[in-house]
Amino acid sequence: MKLYSLSVLYKGDPKVVLLKAAYDVSSFSFFQRSSVQEFMTFTSQLIVERSAKGTRSSVKEQEYLCHVYVRNDSLAGVAIADNEYPSRVAFTLLEKVLDEFSNQVDKMDWPVGSPATIRYTALDGHLSRYQNPREADPISKVQAELDETKIILHNTMESLLERGEKLDDLVSKSEVLGTQSKAFYKTARKQNSCCAIM
Amino acid sequence: ITAAQWVVKDITSTFRRNLHIDGIGLITCPAARYNRSPIVLVENKLGVESWCVRFLLPYVHNKLLSTRKQWLNRDEPTDITCTLLLLSPDFTTAWNVRKELILSGTLNPIKDLHLGKLVLTKFPKSPETWIHRRWVLQQLIQETSLPSFVTKGNLGTIPTERTLWLIQEEMKVCGEAAGRYPSNYNAWSHRIWVLQHVAKLDVKILLDELSSTQHWASLLVSDHSGFHCRQFLLKSLISQTVIDSSVLEQNPLRSKPALLLPKDEEAAASTEEPRINLPHLLEEAEFSTDLPWGTLSDLHLIPAGPQLSQAMNKQGHSQETNAGSGPSSRLLGLGVERRCTDQVLPTSRDAGPASQ
Repeated sequence: MKLYSLSVLYKGDPKVVLLKAAYDVSSFSFFQRSSVQEFMTFTSQLIVERSAKGTRSSVKEQEYLCHVYVRNDSLAGVAIADNEYPSRVAFTLLEKVLDEFSNQVDKMDWPVGSPATIRYTALDGHLSRYQNPREADPISKVQAELDETKIILHNTMESLLERGEKLDDLVSKSEVLGTQSKAFYKTARKQNSCCAIM
Repeated sequence: ITAAQWVVKDITSTFRRNLHIDGIGLITCPAARYNRSPIVLVENKLGVESWCVRFLLPYVHNKLLSTRKQWLNRDEPTDITCTLLLLSPDFTTAWNVRKELILSGTLNPIKDLHLGKLVLTKFPKSPETWIHRRWVLQQLIQETSLPSFVTKGNLGTIPTERTLWLIQEEMKVCGEAAGRYPSNYNAWSHRIWVLQHVAKLDVKILLDELSSTQHWASLLVSDHSGFHCRQFLLKSLISQTVIDSSVLEQNPLRSKPALLLPKDEEAAASTEEPRINLPHLLEEAEFSTDLPWGTLSDLHLIPAGPQLSQAMNKQGHSQETNAGSGPSSRLLGLGVERRCTDQVLPTSRDAGPASQ
């Protein structure tokens, strides 16, 4: 089971702002890592954009699960994991991170912050520790109030989009993705990862 | 000199100048920039920009097939096959050319294994790479001038340092490949093959394997192939200890192995041959409790009999009246009653309170 990224965002209106992120792309092929990282940022932002305040959801995309928690005060957290990673632990982690973040970073800084300006350094440590849920959470700290029936489950990224919206278009318009990442996306879509060379 | 020839030269010289290259990859780059080489070296990783593949691959492919028997120089086939396999590792002919080169003494088999290792960083499943690898290992262990096992006093035969090094390398390669692709059957079955044919099922090596893969297996809970490998380890160890069960019955101290502390086990192991015993089995039962394909439930050859049921009774389980039947179902029973769900899956603690 693997945790690939952990990010804190602000669900502004209309734009979602990335405040801080931590990534573990070590399991990906070396030259794909920067693209993968960019895609995780892109995905995290998109999911928060399309999720209502005060909700928790899990979005499935191939063998990945993106868990998102958007608080009522517009602070949001996204954890991208594989499908073996226990979702309860992911949501506990998100709750804990957002709690900690809101105590350390002033509310005024959220709508205009960026990873460069925000002073919150615990994210990398959390990501690393929570790779092994048992070590990070030895005694069940899962909140009793966390009602799993209230977590919205999306089976694909597409289900977050509006009618007529295409993921391909969002990718090509994205400011978060570099040219190489966009080219990588196009190739991957075409070949569906089965071709021996690419 | 054509562009393709130039790229092959570039790859060869990059490898020659950088002995620490430990991975390869393809860089998505649809168009060449500024007349530069498509070969990129970053942090010991060799990258090939994708724009060159469309002319590079046909070139090396045709070159290999057309000049198979009339190479210009000794290095040419090595370099051509190297480039070809980095792009298309399942092209069997290229691996076969390398077999010829090894047999003629032109190519060092260790260098060939290294290429395979690099290929697997990008193509962790590649069947032909794994198959060829076994051929090379077979060549290495059959070398009569360099024996792979030696006899050492009354400990029987033990593997030589060279053999141990080879085994360690293979375990590393398998482990990395297994991490790169979920449930990588080819990697895990290669691992089993190495333990059978290179390690010759040496008990100490098998025990090391069992403990070194435990942490890994606990994190990759749905890797069927990984658990299949653990099954193999347990089966091999158990079948090698059947002979010792008579010793267990005679020796009163030995009849209560469940009470042996891990430290005592190690002390015992250092003076005699290491062996698997009940603590190992109980550990494995604990470990695989929550998994529908628990390694032990599929093993129908637990020879323990009275010892196992005694040990289970000490743990407070129901009395077994018939010592001879259905060891696997007894172990399943053990599993179901067992606590320790928190050792495998934190979420599975939903079912009732955990009893310590």
